[in-house]
Amino acid sequence: MFRKLYLLYGALVLSTAAFGQYRGWSLDTINQLKNVPKSVRDNPGSYRSVYSGYHHYTGGK
Amino acid sequence: MSASTPPLSGPPKPQAKALNCPKCGAAIVLRSFGQAETVVCASCHCILDAKDPNLAILQQFEIKTSDIKPLIPLGTRGKLRGTDYEVIGFQRRSTQVDGITYRWHEYVLFNPYKGIRYLSEYNGHWNDISICKMLPMSEGASANYLGEIYKHFQTCDASTDFVLGEFPWQVRVGKHAGVADFVNPPRILSSEKMANEVTWSIGEYMYGREIWEAFKLPGAPPEAMGVYENQPSPVTTNVTGMWVAFAAFAMLLLALMAGFDMRAKKEPVLHETFHWERAKVAGETSLVTDVFELKGRPSTVEVKTWAPVSNEWIYLNYALINQDTGQAWDFGREVSYYSGYDSDGSWSEGSRNDSVVIPSVPSGHYYFRIEPEVDPAVPAIAYSVAVTRDVPVFGIYGIAFLALLVPVVIISFRAYTFERSRWSESDHPPMQFSSSSGDDE
Repeated sequence: MFRKLYLLYGALVLSTAAFGQYRGWSLDTINQLKNVPKSVRDNPGSYRSVYSGYHHYTGGK
Repeated sequence: MSASTPPLSGPPKPQAKALNCPKCGAAIVLRSFGQAETVVCASCHCILDAKDPNLAILQQFEIKTSDIKPLIPLGTRGKLRGTDYEVIGFQRRSTQVDGITYRWHEYVLFNPYKGIRYLSEYNGHWNDISICKMLPMSEGASANYLGEIYKHFQTCDASTDFVLGEFPWQVRVGKHAGVADFVNPPRILSSEKMANEVTWSIGEYMYGREIWEAFKLPGAPPEAMGVYENQPSPVTTNVTGMWVAFAAFAMLLLALMAGFDMRAKKEPVLHETFHWERAKVAGETSLVTDVFELKGRPSTVEVKTWAPVSNEWIYLNYALINQDTGQAWDFGREVSYYSGYDSDGSWSEGSRNDSVVIPSVPSGHYYFRIEPEVDPAVPAIAYSVAVTRDVPVFGIYGIAFLALLVPVVIISFRAYTFERSRWSESDHPPMQFSSSSGDDE
């Protein structure tokens, strides 16, 4: 019984992986926005990224 | 059960033979229609010869406790595996292993047409037992009965502590027998050796609730404690079969990965190098790239950044913008690389390369808006941006692999721990713990 369930589950996992690959899924987190004005191309400063101005790692051991 | 077998559970009941104990005069009921060899007086605990019309006294024993009470009272009738039986005898037996006394109970069941069978109970674990019809073949650490192999579990010396009711053999309190158990869950094969006589019996594991239902006993059965020697594993699945299925899925996943990797276009759509100079960017630092076209179905877009940083960083605010629809994918990436030398030797962390994959970008005309933020110590830097469409994401296969692996590992672990618990109580424990040398001194 469980083996049949596992076979079904495995088929589902493989199908999902194949579908995701076909549809171009990614593991990276990317913020999506809509209706960015066309003027940005001529005036890049009119757009501000949600990530700008963060404190950056100034690393090293 | 044959259709000709009359039921015992319903009226009218067969007439039991009523006698009196020759010692105390208490009423003795014989239920087994001459099949009993001995009968025990419940009042004075005399073991009487059931074959003797005068019920000769064979043994009298004293009980040190009044706690010994059968869970199924004598005279109780029930339907066990489709056949009516009456409980006619009860005995408690025990064995000592490493100074610990283990006790279990045995019930004698009788059906005038089917004969005798037994129930045993230990810590809430039950077995339906009958005498073997054929002699099993003992083969060292295993035994073969009707073509099934039973593994040796344990051998012990069992003694009878307490008896009540009728027995189809010459029962005595204090009598010892050498018992060897062989298991093939849910069945158990036991040999019992007394003097020159060896009796083989075959048992099948039963759950307490099945016994309670069969004999319509009030309340709930005692909860089973621990794992019994022939208790069926909760993992009914063939674990090896699961691993075979997993291996097949892993191969398919590998084939899928190879197929999609070959099929992926990996089409370069943009490759530009940008120069950043602090002196020249006093005001706005952001810039836009040329417009490029993404064709075909929605697919991944990989953005690779390279910057020759050394103990410094550069952070790029990216926005991939669809020129026609205004849809944008906004993200930030840091490229930093640090290295040095200390008492532990040389070290490094970070990388001069960075890569990110944007998911499911539809076809259209796009450009990047890039806004760099640079380490204050850096006066000028050149960085490259390479954009490729339709690249495979191997992480998806990694997740799929784990998703396939986890259920098999859980099932295997459950099966392993159950079997380990079972065999830890046997003469063949999974791991032998050596006693400390101090014990021998």
